[in-house]
Amino acid sequence: MINRTQQPEVKTIEHIDFIKPHIFDVTPSVPLLWMKDVPNDTVRLDLFFDAGIIRGKNSVPAIVHSLLFSGTHERSSVEIHEAIDALGGFLDTDLSFEAAVVSIYCLREHLSTISSIVANSINGLSFRENEVDDALRSMSQKFNENRQKVKNVAQQGFREALFASDADYSTVSKAEDFESVDYPEMKRFFREHYLNGLNRITLVGNVEQDTVDALIDLFGQWAMETTPVYGGGFETTQRELHLPVDSAVQSAIRMGKLLFPKTHPDYIEFQVVNTIIGDYFGSRLMSNIREDKGYTYGIGSAMMELHNSGYFVIVTEVGSDVTQATLKEIRYELERLQTELVSKEELGLVRNYMLGQLLKSADGPYAMMDMYNSVDMYGLDLDFYDEAIRKVKAITPERIRELAALYLDWKDFLIVTAG
Amino acid sequence: MIEFNRFKLDNGLTVIHHFDPATPMAVVNTLFDVGARDESEDRTGFAHLFEHLMFGGSVNIADFDAPLQFAGGESNAFTSNDITNYYNTLPVQNIETALWLESDRMLSLAFTPKSLEVQRNVVIEEFKQRYLNQPYGDVWLELRPLAYTTHPYKWATIGKEIRHIEEAQMEDVKAFFKTHYHPGNAILCIAGNISFEETKALVEKWYGNIPGALKPERILPKEPKQKKMREKTIERVVPNDAFYYAFKMPERRSFEYYVSDIISDALGREKSSRLYSRLKKDLKLVTSINAYITGSLDEGLLVIDGKLRDGVSFEELDQALWETLNDLIVHPFSSAETTKLLNKIRTVKEFQEQGLLNRAMNLCLYELLGDANGVNEENTLYQSITAEHIRELSRDMLKKENCSVLRVKAIRA
Repeated sequence: MINRTQQPEVKTIEHIDFIKPHIFDVTPSVPLLWMKDVPNDTVRLDLFFDAGIIRGKNSVPAIVHSLLFSGTHERSSVEIHEAIDALGGFLDTDLSFEAAVVSIYCLREHLSTISSIVANSINGLSFRENEVDDALRSMSQKFNENRQKVKNVAQQGFREALFASDADYSTVSKAEDFESVDYPEMKRFFREHYLNGLNRITLVGNVEQDTVDALIDLFGQWAMETTPVYGGGFETTQRELHLPVDSAVQSAIRMGKLLFPKTHPDYIEFQVVNTIIGDYFGSRLMSNIREDKGYTYGIGSAMMELHNSGYFVIVTEVGSDVTQATLKEIRYELERLQTELVSKEELGLVRNYMLGQLLKSADGPYAMMDMYNSVDMYGLDLDFYDEAIRKVKAITPERIRELAALYLDWKDFLIVTAG
Repeated sequence: MIEFNRFKLDNGLTVIHHFDPATPMAVVNTLFDVGARDESEDRTGFAHLFEHLMFGGSVNIADFDAPLQFAGGESNAFTSNDITNYYNTLPVQNIETALWLESDRMLSLAFTPKSLEVQRNVVIEEFKQRYLNQPYGDVWLELRPLAYTTHPYKWATIGKEIRHIEEAQMEDVKAFFKTHYHPGNAILCIAGNISFEETKALVEKWYGNIPGALKPERILPKEPKQKKMREKTIERVVPNDAFYYAFKMPERRSFEYYVSDIISDALGREKSSRLYSRLKKDLKLVTSINAYITGSLDEGLLVIDGKLRDGVSFEELDQALWETLNDLIVHPFSSAETTKLLNKIRTVKEFQEQGLLNRAMNLCLYELLGDANGVNEENTLYQSITAEHIRELSRDMLKKENCSVLRVKAIRA
C-alpha cells in the first residue's frame, strides 16, 4: 500500500546551465546578441530603441510608436502588413519607461525579406495625415476606456506620485494629447529616437552567419551614437492618494516605494523577501487576503527595474467595502516580516520554488535570451545568476527580517487607491 | 511532429506520454471532460467554482500548492464551457510530487467548509473584476443568451449571475465531484525527459488504485437551427458604442471548423484583413475591429466585434459590414490570399509547439476529440483548405438569419 500522506522525496536543484549568446558589435556601443541553437525553424528578432515613455511629452513617444508601420510615400499601412502577412510573419511592439521594442516573429526562411520590409517601413515613415488621425482616434478611445478601469487609474496616479521629483518619469497621458499632434515635434522625436536611436538587437534563431551580418548592415544605420542617459535619485513626497472612479464595484490598490537598481548588493536577497510577501501563489499576501479572507481574486508584489533605480510595488483589486480591511492586512503582513522570523519550512519552500523558477527561466533558447538580456542591459552578466543561486540557498531568516526592517517600513510607502 | 505513447489503466484513466530530452522541466497535465455546458441551468458557474475548490486540499493532503512549490514547481488551471484543465510545471527530477498531488485530488477532495466559503468569495470577486468592473466587461453575459436559446452555451463559464455562486452548497460540490472527477472522465499527459517505462510505473503506482466509475452520459439540449437574425441593444456607461456580430459555426470535430477559423483570420485577425482594411482604413467607420472564433467543441460562434468611431451610427456600420461580408462570396479569395492565411497558420503552429506545456495540453485536447495524433494532422488539414471551401462556407455561415447582433450604446453616467 502506498503512503499518500507522505510527499515523495524532493531533490534540490544544484546547478543550472546558463548559456551566453554570441555577441557582435553593431557599433562599439550597440550590441547584437544571437542565440543560435534553436531546434526548429522559428526566429525572433527584437530591435530596442531609446524611445521609451520618458523620452517625450504629451504622449509623443506612444503616438510615434503606434505609427511605425503606418506607411511610407510608396506603401500604405495595409500594404506593409499584407507583405509581412504573406510571408507568415508577425510584428509585435512594446513600449515601456526606458525602451521601445519592435519584434519580428517568423520562420527563418523569411527573416531577411521581412527585415527589409521592416527597415523600409521605418526608414520611409511619412506620417500620412489620415493614418495619424486614425491612430489618434484609436488611442483617444482607448484612453477613455482606461479611465474607467480602476486598475489603470491607480497605476497612472501611482506613477505620477512615485516619480514626482522627475518630470520625465512622472509624465502620464492626458486626454488632449490625442486631440491633435505637433507634427514637427513628432518627426523630430522619430528622427532622434528611432532613426538614430537603436541601442540593442537580439536574435534567436538557427540562421546563417551571413544573415546576421546582413542584419547588422541593415539595422546598423539606426545605431545610437551616444550612450543613453537615464534618470535616477527620484523622490516621492506624497504618501496617500485616493482617485474616485464612478460606480466602481471594486477598488484598485497600488502601493509601493522606491528601492534600488538590479546592480545593488541587496537586490537578490530582497527578491527572496519579495517572493515571500507576494510573488507566488502561496505568498503571505495571497494566503491571507485571497485564500483566508476571500477579499480578492488576486494580490501580488513585484520588484520593478530601471537603469538607475527600481521600485517595489503591491497590486490588487478588492471589493470596495473591504479596501480598508485589505490595507490593514497588508500592513500586518509587512510588519510581521519585520518582527518575526520566517520558519525553516517556509524558507525551504520559497528557496526551492525560486530555484525551480530560475531553472524554468533558463529553459530553451528564447527563455535564455530574455534572461541574458535582462542582466546585460544593466551591465551585469551570467555571474548574476550563479550568485543568485548561492544567495538564495544561503539566506537566513535573520537576514530576511533585517531586510524587511530596512526596506518595508509602512510609513515610507506611497498608497494609491482608485474606486 | 509530436511523438507520444498512450495507454489506459484498468480504472479507465487515459494516459499520454510525451518524451522531450531537451528540457529540464516536466509537465503533468490533466484534462477533465467537464465544463460549464454540463451544469444545470439553475446552478451555473459551478464547473469553474469547482476548479477553485480543487486547490483547497484533498483527502490525504491538506494543501495542494505548498508541496508542489517545495518541489520547485507551480500549478494552475482553467475552465471553459467544454473542459476543465489542470497543469503543473516542475523540475523533472521531482515529477513524482505532481503525480502524488494530482492522484490524491482525483481520489477525493477534503471538502472543508472553509475552502467552499473562501473560494465562493474569491470567485465572486473574480466575477466583479472581470465582468462587472470593466467597460464592456459584461457583453458575453448578454451575447451568449442572445446567440443560444437552448444549448448550455447560453451561459458564460463564470455563471449567469452571482447568486448561483452564492447559493452553492457542499452537497452540490460532493455530487459534482462524484459524477465528473474520476479516472474514466480524465486524460492525463506526462511530458518531459522521462522514459515511457518510468512513466508507466509511476502512473500505475499513484493512479492504479483509484476506483473507476462510469463516464457520465452527456445529453445536452440541442440548439435549434437559427431561422432569423436576432438583435439586442443595451445601454452602458462606456466611452464608445460597440458592436458584436455572432454567427453560429460548425462544431470542433468537423473539417469546416478549420475553414471557419481561416475565415475569421481573413476577416479580422491582422492589419491586412478585409474588415480592418475596409471599415477602419477606407471607410473610417470604426476605431477597432476584430474577428475570431470561440473554439467550442459543440456548435460555436464566429464573432466580429469592434468600436464605432465618434459620430458614426450603428446603421452605417451595419450596411458596410454586410457589404464586406457579401464581398467574400461575390469576390472570393484568390489562391494567393489563401496561401497567405495558411502561411500564418504554419508560423503560429511552429511557435506554439515550442512550449512543453502547450504540447501536453494539445495532446490531451485532441485525445478528447478522439485521437491525440490529431495534433500532428492539424496543419495538413489547414493546408488542404482551398479558396472554394472558404467561399462555400462563407455563403452558408455569414448570413443574417445565422447571426445575433449585440449593440452597446454608450450613455453618460
